[in-house]
Amino acid sequence: MNEYIEQEARKALEEGFDGVLGLKNRWGQTGPYLFRNEEELDDIQTEPKFGLAKTIRTMLKRRPDLKIAAVLRGCDVRALQELEDLGEISTGNLRYLGISCSLEQAALCNCAKPIYDTATCTGCWNCLEACPEDAIARINTCPILQPSEYNSGLAQRKAIYIPYAQAVPLKATRDREHCLTTTGVMDCKGCENVCQAEAIVHDDQERTKDIEVGSIILSSGFQPFDPSRFDTYSYAEFKNVVTALEFERILAATGPWMGHLVRPGDEQEPKKIAFLQCVGSREMNRCDNEYCSSVCCMYAIKESVIAKEHAADDLDISIYYMDIRTPGKDFERYYEKAKDKGVRFIRSRVHTILEQPDGSLQLQYVTDDGQKLTEDYDMVVLSHGLEISDNARSMAENMGIELTKGGFIQSSDFSPVATNRSGIYACGALAGPKDIPQSVMEASAAACAATSNLSQARHSMTREAQLPPEQNVRGDRPRVGVFVCSCGINIAGVIDVQELVEHARSLPHVEFVDNNLFTCSQDTQDTMARVIREQGLNRVVVAACTPKTHEAVFQETLQAAGLNKYLFEMANIRNQDSWVHGQEPETATRKAKELIGMAVSKVLLNDPLEEVKLDITPAALVIGGGLAGMNAAVELAGQGFQTHLVEQDSQLGGIGRTKRKTVHNEPIQTYLSDMTRRIEEDPLIQAHLQSKVSKVSGFVGNFTSTVTTDGQDTEIEHGAVIIATGAREHIPEEYGYGQDKRIMTNHEIEQALSRKEIDPGSMNTAVFIQCVGSREPQRQYCSRICCTQTLKAALEFKEANPNIQVFVLYRDIRTYGERESLYKEARARGIIFVRFDPESKPEVSLNQDSVEVSLTDPLLGVKLDIQTDLIGLASAVVSRDNSELAQMFKVPVDEDGWFLEAHQKLRPVDFATDGVFMAGTCHYPKPIEESVTQAQAAVARAVCMLSSRELSLPGTVAVIDQSKCVGCGVCWTVCPYQAVSENENKLAEVNRALCKGCGTCVASCRSGAPDLNGFTQEEIFAELDALV
Amino acid sequence: MTSEQKFIPKITAFLCNWCSYGAADLAGVSRLSYPSSIRVIRIPCTGRMSPKFILQAFRQGFDGVWVSG
Repeated sequence: MNEYIEQEARKALEEGFDGVLGLKNRWGQTGPYLFRNEEELDDIQTEPKFGLAKTIRTMLKRRPDLKIAAVLRGCDVRALQELEDLGEISTGNLRYLGISCSLEQAALCNCAKPIYDTATCTGCWNCLEACPEDAIARINTCPILQPSEYNSGLAQRKAIYIPYAQAVPLKATRDREHCLTTTGVMDCKGCENVCQAEAIVHDDQERTKDIEVGSIILSSGFQPFDPSRFDTYSYAEFKNVVTALEFERILAATGPWMGHLVRPGDEQEPKKIAFLQCVGSREMNRCDNEYCSSVCCMYAIKESVIAKEHAADDLDISIYYMDIRTPGKDFERYYEKAKDKGVRFIRSRVHTILEQPDGSLQLQYVTDDGQKLTEDYDMVVLSHGLEISDNARSMAENMGIELTKGGFIQSSDFSPVATNRSGIYACGALAGPKDIPQSVMEASAAACAATSNLSQARHSMTREAQLPPEQNVRGDRPRVGVFVCSCGINIAGVIDVQELVEHARSLPHVEFVDNNLFTCSQDTQDTMARVIREQGLNRVVVAACTPKTHEAVFQETLQAAGLNKYLFEMANIRNQDSWVHGQEPETATRKAKELIGMAVSKVLLNDPLEEVKLDITPAALVIGGGLAGMNAAVELAGQGFQTHLVEQDSQLGGIGRTKRKTVHNEPIQTYLSDMTRRIEEDPLIQAHLQSKVSKVSGFVGNFTSTVTTDGQDTEIEHGAVIIATGAREHIPEEYGYGQDKRIMTNHEIEQALSRKEIDPGSMNTAVFIQCVGSREPQRQYCSRICCTQTLKAALEFKEANPNIQVFVLYRDIRTYGERESLYKEARARGIIFVRFDPESKPEVSLNQDSVEVSLTDPLLGVKLDIQTDLIGLASAVVSRDNSELAQMFKVPVDEDGWFLEAHQKLRPVDFATDGVFMAGTCHYPKPIEESVTQAQAAVARAVCMLSSRELSLPGTVAVIDQSKCVGCGVCWTVCPYQAVSENENKLAEVNRALCKGCGTCVASCRSGAPDLNGFTQEEIFAELDALV
Repeated sequence: MTSEQKFIPKITAFLCNWCSYGAADLAGVSRLSYPSSIRVIRIPCTGRMSPKFILQAFRQGFDGVWVSG
């Protein structure tokens, strides 16, 4: 067949055709190519990978005179014939070189009648009629298909594409490396031709800009570990072995199968799935990633639970792991819940995966007790770790920034977001493997650190919009303007826009109607503002996309025209109409008319609303003078704000005063005395020692707190508050604690070592017991810091006395991130790790002259009796009683007593109450570097608010009609923001500064006293009435 | 209505601005399709949802009311 095509192609060129359009392999991928001379034809590819009809259409539309021959499949020709019927192209100058499809290609295309006998094909093209593929439908602009990055390569995208449905901005981007035009393969420009907004500039060039900045923040993130390096897991070979990121896309509603759980090999629903942990993490044999990637245990558990929710009840999921590491807030509870839901946890590292003929996978592994087992699964998910890309590494090297052994950005425990170069900061996974809450905290912390030196320049480069005075239209007869957007062809391609315009004209009080190609474009905005003024419009409706993205844009136009921005409504005729009813243009048009009718009915009732401006007291209160609180105070002062630091003790430093070194051996006491000196010397900081906050009133930007010192009350005015009250150590009730001085908590050992009260040199044996009081039913959380503390102490014992036998009795070792190197070092130094289950805890017995610990080693199955000189108990970190503070600031604590953030992932230092933030261990147990990070993050969040000159409160708040209110109190009970309270007349009153406009009070009232501005009862009824 | 005619229910949906309304927008971005007989009313939070709206919707002739948030 090759010869036939080549022969025909050469003939065409000889006959004077301008070229032969065919497929050619370039840069490892097949694409359309116009062969212009005979030499080139050696490379013509005759395996019909994809159709050329759309390419021909583009070419012929631009150059109808072009005389070309094209290598075409049956379905291509049918498409071209239809295009000719539609009058789009003329095929008079086109010569068809028929090519037949192989069986494989036919199967790929789902073609019912492929021609596979090329020798006997006469090229009659009768088969075209049989091709079920709708070739016309596939002809949309870009002919290139590439694996979609967003869907981890499980789906395809074009060379011009919108990266993903929630992309910000939601606009197309171009893949310059594969675009036919930019790569010079051919002058395609298909997208440019169809873009009515003329937004595509193919010959645009990359430009380099110089920007002068005061600080740089590096946050280039991580790359997922690529398991195709491991032949053990056969990721590259077996289709049903996927990475966790791919699995996440499979589960996603926006994923390749729209959230339907299937395996990629045959798109069948799996009944049994295995997760393999630590792929590319804690692995020194096949790769150099010694560290723990910190996030994989939790995401594997989460994906398991979600998969079980997606699939039928009988989905069987196993997680093969070394240690389950769930040290984050609420993670342990999630882990326990997953067990309850039937997720199986198997402690083993799988050594072999074999593929079965049906695509399922056989795992071979060895259990704890030495049994060799095999088990079959439909699908295997590799929990791959986090890595730093070569690009990020070279960027750091070019900047002269030091990296850790794992390749992450090196930082000090006391300045966790600073790099070794002053003025350059780092956050997120680039600075160490971490999860979302920690990354978000670091991002805020980096913003704090990066702006600290720039605080003098704050507002110096800000430009403010100049708005005309607002005209008073209250009481005027409504004059409504309706602007109907075509959105290119997004709306006009489905909905009859002219019919909408006519319909809008017929609506009451509508004085002006216009149709625009793109209503949001800057020139239309200018026109709109002019029309509003010229036509004297006092209400505006835009029928276009969604208010979620564009309401604010149009409201600005209203303000520019001197109208109150609340005299505006949108009719969502794109996202909720033309885009979802593309197949039913008539009913879509009818729906659009109703939506416009609804918007007009509502806008007629809209009142101009006032946005109250509040002054902000540019001062902050920090409660708690431990490491987190001290840091917060110093940073706040660094940002230029007056700060009051309240500490109940007579000294600053909190629990930090009893500690010697951080995880990276940095001296804590030196740091603390330096911080204390800075606080004492800084004129902006006032420390209130032996004091407590006894009373609070006010709200965001305007708090008044009473600080009581020795019975003396001081009133402090402040705009923000950071709560950093810390935590304390749990007093153990088990393992003979309190009965012998040789049984100590880790904290006590730390103190005894610093006072030289114990001497590891004189000991033969030391035993550390983990999870004392943590991960128990009554305290179902991991205390996060104890594994690291134990290993530090154990290593110190070994350092002081190499002959000492050190045992660590544990459930899971949780040295997350680069702390894993401690665990590795400990094993290398001969520290003995013995695991136990909560059902068979170690037992401690006290004798006359010795202490004995006994437990059964699950690996050896034998009972161990250890005579020891010391028992160290890794006692839990527990919360302090914060109920008084919680009540004063109206902020919640969770069931374990930790302060509860506004959003666990995305707002990890904010409370739901505006102006109140948290830092340190009052939020959850955490090591020093994470406390410092959170303190800096809380400062950044507070400064966001404190640095604005005034607070603008939205107009869409609840209002109470005092004449209807009976003071029953239901509304102030149900208000989730404590915005409604009882006034002096015993009636309800709304504090606009606290109201979020949810309307719960309105729905709760039996007398109809409250109403919600912008969404009044009357307005919603009017919307309903407009629907018929 | 005769038995041959297909019953297409008219539904009004009260969607919370912060979640479900955004999801309805996303359905459009993803080019999903659903019957055009559904009408969406945006509310600031399902806390705003008053039983009166549901009653009024039925009074208006809707066959179903969907509250989501």
